[in-house]
Amino acid sequence: MTIFTIDEVRKTFLNGEVKEEILKGVNLSLKEGEITALVGASGSGKSTLLTIAAGLQRASDGQVIFEGENMISMNSEQVRKIRACKFGFVFQFAHLVPFLTVEEQLMLMLDVAETKLKKDEAQKEINKLLGLVEMSHRKKAYPSSLSGGEKQRIAIARAIIHKPKVLFADEPTASLDSKRSKDVMKLIRDLTKTLNIATLMVTHDEEMLTYADQIITISDGQVV
Amino acid sequence: MNIGWKEMKKNKGKFLILGSIVFLVSLLTFIISGLASGLSQDNAALIKDLPNGSFYMSEDAEETYNLSRIDSSTQERLLNKEEDAVALSIQMGFLNEEAGKQRSVAFVTATDSTFFPHVKRGEIVLDRSLQEEGVKIGDTLTNNQYNGQFIVKGFVDQKKYSHAPVAFIHMRDYQDMYRALEMQFVFVPDGELSHVIAGLQLFSKKDFLNTIPSYSAEQMSLNMIVWFLVVISGMLFAIFFYMMNVQKMGLYGILKAIGVKTNALFKMMWTQMMVITVMALCLSIAISQVFTQIAPNGMPFHLTMETTIQLSIIFLVIGFIGATLSGIQIKKVEPLQAIQQGEV
Ligand SMILES: Nc1ncnc2c1ncn2[C@@H]1O[C@H](COP(=O)(O)OP(=O)(O)O)[C@@H](O)[C@H]1O
Ligand SMILES: [Mg+2]
Repeated sequence: MTIFTIDEVRKTFLNGEVKEEILKGVNLSLKEGEITALVGASGSGKSTLLTIAAGLQRASDGQVIFEGENMISMNSEQVRKIRACKFGFVFQFAHLVPFLTVEEQLMLMLDVAETKLKKDEAQKEINKLLGLVEMSHRKKAYPSSLSGGEKQRIAIARAIIHKPKVLFADEPTASLDSKRSKDVMKLIRDLTKTLNIATLMVTHDEEMLTYADQIITISDGQVV
Repeated sequence: MNIGWKEMKKNKGKFLILGSIVFLVSLLTFIISGLASGLSQDNAALIKDLPNGSFYMSEDAEETYNLSRIDSSTQERLLNKEEDAVALSIQMGFLNEEAGKQRSVAFVTATDSTFFPHVKRGEIVLDRSLQEEGVKIGDTLTNNQYNGQFIVKGFVDQKKYSHAPVAFIHMRDYQDMYRALEMQFVFVPDGELSHVIAGLQLFSKKDFLNTIPSYSAEQMSLNMIVWFLVVISGMLFAIFFYMMNVQKMGLYGILKAIGVKTNALFKMMWTQMMVITVMALCLSIAISQVFTQIAPNGMPFHLTMETTIQLSIIFLVIGFIGATLSGIQIKKVEPLQAIQQGEV
């Protein structure tokens, strides 16, 4: 089922005096349980599109429809709330909180998403998910003692611990070697399927496309 | 989950440094404020411990108490009208002990009142500090401007003027010594009418204290140090949190991106500021109170719990303002920037 639609989205940046239109009317839709891969040359506007979809910046024109409502016309607190409760994020770098242990990172996300779980329920969820990303043995560890791949698995766990509807991933495997990349991709695919998440993922790694259900190519600010 | 607290636990060293600086600054502030109040007590307890009220000096004295003369008819009128009013005179001078030791005192004489001890001719009542230095009841003391001898009748607590112990003498003895028939000023306690009288200048207690040479100079410089320290502590918080926040911009961006409220980031900072300040203040309150107990007798140190609490509240408020000002940058953080800047 389609739960997320991007409709004629445009984005113009002001580069000094010159207006540059990076997105020139982009359309796409995301379905539950599917991975949509976003590909295109560097600088073609993939990250811009992803961050607009994720409510991290505003489109100049067009609509971003999530659960039947247009996010473009919401105020920033409403958008924040959707980001906190309904969206999950994975980026090229893990961006973990340096002074929190692995399980505290996840606990924080449960707090932020206002899941209102009791402490033992929350702990159970955390343990379950850490098992899924094969990090149970490091739950008391701080990020500084984790490897790049381990950090990224924790970032993925943090992105989905609160059972989001949509997962946004911007080159999640770019900082990993090819074996680690495959592990992380498999993980994202399995979670997309089992939790019925709609995933939008930017990648420029051809290999990763085998995991995608839908591939969208952006060129010159438009879908081709 | 309180992430402010978690950060402090993980980075104890950083916060401990700030805490110890706040501790030192607040302790210094308490001690200096104790000294200021101790010195003001030592300088002018005679006046300070009077109730609030008005002082009248003659206008032509130009705010110098020992040039002031209140003519006796005016004094009569004032004392008759105001029940608790008292006329008094003060002169700095010396007393010689039998053993030849000379002591600097402030001679004070006053009309009958409840504020000052009653002395007969030839008698003298002294500040307690002289008893501590060995003067005893029944001792005889002399003064080179006085023909007879003074017999020590008793001691009173906390009567100092211009850093000298006060010596209360009878009005006639005073007139003999200083050849002055008129009193220097009249004090009228509050509640009774204080009105302008021709030829007399009216002072509040505070204004009158400031006419004492050295009093305002002492108090002003010490109070200025106290306020400087308070301001410095506020800047300390502002600068410390500013530097911490600059380091954490990326982190704040990520937290905002995943949906943490800006408010929650401020709360994080306020928690840290409160924990540090409260711990530092508790420690310096405890130490300054111990200091109050063990301060040597000769050291003018007078720090009440009330002053300490007041200063502590000011520290908390200033710390809060400092941290909040430096936190304004948190508001400006864009989640996107942090993500584009790469690993934090
Ligand atoms: N905030 C911005 N201001 C100005 N130009 C921007 C901004 N963000 C992105 N751009 C420009 O938009 C284009 C697309 O960037 P981006 O979406 O990051 O591309 P991609 O992720 O496909 O490599 C680039 O030319 C970039 O310079
Ligand atoms: Mg990009």
